[in-house]
Amino acid sequence: MKRIGLPLVLASLLSAGAVPARAQDPGGPDANAGQADFFVESVRPILERSCFRCHGGAGKTRGGLDLTTRAGVLKGGDLGPAIDVEEPSASLLLEAIRYEGLEMPPTGKLDQADLDILTRWVELGAPYDEEHSSPAPAPEEDDEAISEEDRQFWSFQPVRRPEVPSVHRQDWVRDPIDAFILRGLEEAGLEPAPEASRETLIRRLSSDLLGLPPTPEEVEAFVENDSPLAYEELVDRLLSSPHYGERWGRHWLDVVRFAETNSFERDNDKPAAWRYRDYVIESFNEDKPYDRFVREQLAGDELEDASAESIIATGFYRLGAWDDEPTDRLQARFDELDDIITTTAQAFLGLTINCARCHDHKIDPIPQRDYYRFLAFVANLKPYSYDPSHILTEIASDEERAEHDRLQQDRERREAEINAALAPIEARLLESVPEPRRSMLKEGTFEQRRHVLDGIAERDLSPEELSSYRELIRQWQEIPPVPPLPTALSAREPGPEAPETFVLIRGSAHAPGDPVSPGFPEVLGAPDPVFETPTEGAASSGRRRALADWIASEENPLTARVMVNRVWHYHFGRGIVRTPNDFGFQGAMPTHPELLDWLAAEFMAGGWRLKPLHKRIVMSSTYRMSSKGNPEALADDPTNDLLWRFDLRRLSAEEIRDAMLAVTGVLNPKMGGPGFYSRIPKAYLAGQSRPGAGWGDSPAEERARRSVYIHVKRSLVTPILASFDAADTDFSCPVRFATTQPTQALSTLNGELLHEQAAALADRVRQEAGPESDDRVRRALALVLCREPTADEVARGVGFMEALRSEDGVEPDRAFELFCLMALNLNEFIYID
Amino acid sequence: MTDHRRPKGSFCGRTRREFVWQTGMGFTSLGLIDLLSRDGFFSGSARADGDAPGGYSNPMAPKAPHFEPKAKSVIFLFMYGGPSHVDTFDYKPDLLRYDGQTIAVKTKGRGGSKNEGRIVGPKWPFQQHGESGQWVSSLFPHLARHVDDIAFIKSMTADSPLHGSAMLQMNSGRILSGSPCLGSWVTYGLGSENEDLPGFVVMLDPVGGPISGAKNWSSGYMPSTYQGTILRSQGEPIIDLSPPEGVSDAMQRRLIDTLNDYNADHLADRADQSDLAARISSFELAYKMQMAAPEATAIDGEPEETKRLYGLDDPKTENFGRRCLLARRLVERGVRFVQIYAGGAHNDDNWDAHTDIEKNHNYHCGRTDKPIAGLLEDLKRRGLLDSTLIVWGGEFGRQPTAEYEKGTGRDHNSFGFTMWMAGGGVKGGVSVGETDELGSAAVVDRFHVKHLHATILTQLGLDPDRLSFFYGGLDQKLVGVEGAEPIRQLI
Repeated sequence: MKRIGLPLVLASLLSAGAVPARAQDPGGPDANAGQADFFVESVRPILERSCFRCHGGAGKTRGGLDLTTRAGVLKGGDLGPAIDVEEPSASLLLEAIRYEGLEMPPTGKLDQADLDILTRWVELGAPYDEEHSSPAPAPEEDDEAISEEDRQFWSFQPVRRPEVPSVHRQDWVRDPIDAFILRGLEEAGLEPAPEASRETLIRRLSSDLLGLPPTPEEVEAFVENDSPLAYEELVDRLLSSPHYGERWGRHWLDVVRFAETNSFERDNDKPAAWRYRDYVIESFNEDKPYDRFVREQLAGDELEDASAESIIATGFYRLGAWDDEPTDRLQARFDELDDIITTTAQAFLGLTINCARCHDHKIDPIPQRDYYRFLAFVANLKPYSYDPSHILTEIASDEERAEHDRLQQDRERREAEINAALAPIEARLLESVPEPRRSMLKEGTFEQRRHVLDGIAERDLSPEELSSYRELIRQWQEIPPVPPLPTALSAREPGPEAPETFVLIRGSAHAPGDPVSPGFPEVLGAPDPVFETPTEGAASSGRRRALADWIASEENPLTARVMVNRVWHYHFGRGIVRTPNDFGFQGAMPTHPELLDWLAAEFMAGGWRLKPLHKRIVMSSTYRMSSKGNPEALADDPTNDLLWRFDLRRLSAEEIRDAMLAVTGVLNPKMGGPGFYSRIPKAYLAGQSRPGAGWGDSPAEERARRSVYIHVKRSLVTPILASFDAADTDFSCPVRFATTQPTQALSTLNGELLHEQAAALADRVRQEAGPESDDRVRRALALVLCREPTADEVARGVGFMEALRSEDGVEPDRAFELFCLMALNLNEFIYID
Repeated sequence: MTDHRRPKGSFCGRTRREFVWQTGMGFTSLGLIDLLSRDGFFSGSARADGDAPGGYSNPMAPKAPHFEPKAKSVIFLFMYGGPSHVDTFDYKPDLLRYDGQTIAVKTKGRGGSKNEGRIVGPKWPFQQHGESGQWVSSLFPHLARHVDDIAFIKSMTADSPLHGSAMLQMNSGRILSGSPCLGSWVTYGLGSENEDLPGFVVMLDPVGGPISGAKNWSSGYMPSTYQGTILRSQGEPIIDLSPPEGVSDAMQRRLIDTLNDYNADHLADRADQSDLAARISSFELAYKMQMAAPEATAIDGEPEETKRLYGLDDPKTENFGRRCLLARRLVERGVRFVQIYAGGAHNDDNWDAHTDIEKNHNYHCGRTDKPIAGLLEDLKRRGLLDSTLIVWGGEFGRQPTAEYEKGTGRDHNSFGFTMWMAGGGVKGGVSVGETDELGSAAVVDRFHVKHLHATILTQLGLDPDRLSFFYGGLDQKLVGVEGAEPIRQLI
């Protein structure tokens, strides 16, 4: 393909000397015939050979760039015009073919002759032949302008409290929620499902609010309590249980992609990440206002009343995956920030701002500039690092610090006393050490002196002296070490001056474009934040505080809507907006927009508190409906969009494990603190490059704690959790999958955990139900199903055990264990009506 | 309420199928099943399961490809650690000329970026083989006989010269953690032909897993249905496959029957809840898998000649050979995607030859050459090579220079390396792309990992630009949001 010399046309153009006089549009339709020939003979073959396959030919326009027409070149792709008519040498196309930043064609650099031709062509203003030389498109008014129509999108409107609709069946309306739901049903001519049974309701409530099943005794007491307040009392009791925070905190941990390790080759632990998990659980349990919860996580260190708690909350910024040996450090820095703002925007705002990293959002009205303006809020964060000063903050209370000082002084005092007693003996021993070691040892540490002097002591001291020498050393060694002050994984900034942020062309950290300052997505219409001149010596820029204040504000149209929708989603198994992380154009439209707004308005008016919201929802007639189908409604609304019944729900991965531990009676209710290591069979550990690395052994009682306390290691997920669709830990998880697969059945039929739990259940029932088979079966089923089993169900279980005995020669105790295994596999155990 | 930007003809801005994933619903919900059936989602899965009330469809049931496929299955022979291209398939006579000399050459590996280094010439002689005259070093005497069936890509590039991120990229397309793997994409797109066996199977080296472990066969943001299942070449093939000791087949059948009776009663009141029916079916499928998996993995019954072909009679090749033979038996039974790791753990337990290239590659080639040749031959004579795409390679290649002052160890190289494919409609006896005269970087017809992935998908009848999964506001694709071309010279 090597060319000898320049083609004739190009040579003649070059010899013409000066670049043709700049017309309005030099290479435009009026370009001279020579230029068109140059294009046809020299340029087009190169484009055809190396460019058209992706850029215009065969229907493909990668990166939005079409090179087959002049208009396409001038319009350009995602990165803007391919050539700069005003300043041809700065054309993107030239950068790309010279491999300066972009590398085009990607299959290999063009040879020099081709480069020369294309360079000349661009300098001429990219003339085409007549056929392909349509005039340059009129520049659009403003490419990035956000239209009025965009601004009118439902989720960008301020939350207004709608009127509660009037409905015919007023008797069904326990709460305004019901009126909103019922109106939809009445319009469709559908009846709401009847109220579920009391057994169903207590099991539904208990799972929903605590993630744990009720005991048979609790069920019985509730079923027999005919007080009109019984249901409400139950709701209040459950909402005040500390298990509530474990259940609902876990939902939030899904959204913020909580994990305790960094992923990648080493997948090392994040220091004390469990404090963030405990912070979340405690925040739910104390019913912390959601606006406060937002502020603490985003700017807990920048609040006037910053505390250990609010600093722990900023661990939010440190939860992501982190490659400790990135191939491109600068790019990795922006990957880290991208991970943070992706999670922040999706979790708090339901915005997929992440889609605007490389170019304007293709669907939502989010220009690329908005992405970088948003990024600027967090750009001053110190990068994640093994260096504690980047990610850890000391969080000791005054008392803890005083105690720490006291212990430290105690220790120093004790050391001084012992040193004083040892000094004369050591002085003697040192005499037999030659200089300069003697002087060095005198200045050296206690341990260094021991290293040398212990041997000499043994040789030189009398037995009495030796024993008192040793006694002093023993005393020294027994001085308790002073525990380090507690630290929290947290946001840290190097100081008040934030670095300048630029739009990154095509998302490349190596191609900074225009500078931007922190600002909110333009379509939402909020004025840019104003920052006061940072005070000298301040620890941070205050930018995250501005972001937090805007998100946690009643004026923000998204924050309350997104959160009440999440709450609704977890109660009903789906949101009013079914895409809880995406309230943009591509997200689902709300099935009940007015209800969503009404809930959001109530939520804010009630001080952003979740427990009253939960209570209102679970007290409603809507929540209390049965999950039973009826043919008419199934035909009209098979997906139950109108909520004519309660949706049956499979337990989540954690619930399956926790419910099992609860019914078998081994559940350890211990809350908080460092997580534990579940038992992971060797066969799974064999998948690690260092089998067992980063995973420990925890004692049996620790292993019986709730699943939310299992150490979350990104590359090693506890098998039962992985199998039943636990949240992915690398990205925000808005909705859990609920898959059904044969490998799940294999693990629940044959796996070690299930057999161990079946044996525990059998043990428990043997103690509680006496020797008779039918009593045992009845008790086991009551525990597992949270209801009294029927006589037939009991008889079937007894028959199963009989058959195992008579047909398979199985011992009675073992037969009962297998019955328990069967019971833990029942659909009724795994699904909630 | 405006909804003006939503593309027409789609369901909330995306296909119905994606919508169901996105909402994370048990996608067997009756209404959705109905919706999806009408949408053609389950076309190609006509298989009606007599045991399954309520219209349950296994998520791994076969799905129609985008266009007529060349290959039905993939066997990815993953040479973990990074084999040296200049010692195996990428013949660079200049390296011999400069052997031992320190010259200017740009490299980037775990030891950072360098501008010069001491050249280490290839330690094995190269020869041309087959009618196509492909160059292969003496490391692969058996494989060399099959070059006329092989398409070499000698201009591969990847974005990272470090194991952790490079492994993720070769398996999932991205250097960052959290995306679904190739095998997940393939089974998401096509399901699997045999529902009694897992559709995406991974066989590890007995010395250990690769760096990042399960991340390499994770389904990322997709449902766990599509994650890889570890298949073991010895002992119980699938974790939890067999009942614990003391539970006979008869006992287990009795247990499942009793479970079915209780579940049937429970379902009777909830006949419209196909999730419940699905779970009932899943126990039957699990039971069938308990039969099918041991049958599929029982290689003892293979003829002695076949065992020898794979090197099962030699302790050196026995383990890898066993796994190659297993792979053939799996694709024969319709398993969609099989990945076999050659090498595990760290350093010289895999192809990561930092200190002594000779020792390392003699060992790893010695373990794998005959089994791979055996696999190619066996597939070919059974007529399976046409429908089975074999992919060979590691996460990157190695540098032409020495890593340390002394010795022959080579550092990582993602600027240029070799991979090859065979079968599955790929042309044999061809070689595309070139590295420079030292093998340090791809310069002619450069290809990226995404092009390799695009080629694999294309051979399976999937359009790499169309195979997408809606997540995080984006139509995510294995080959990246921009899409990628397959390597057309090979297909």
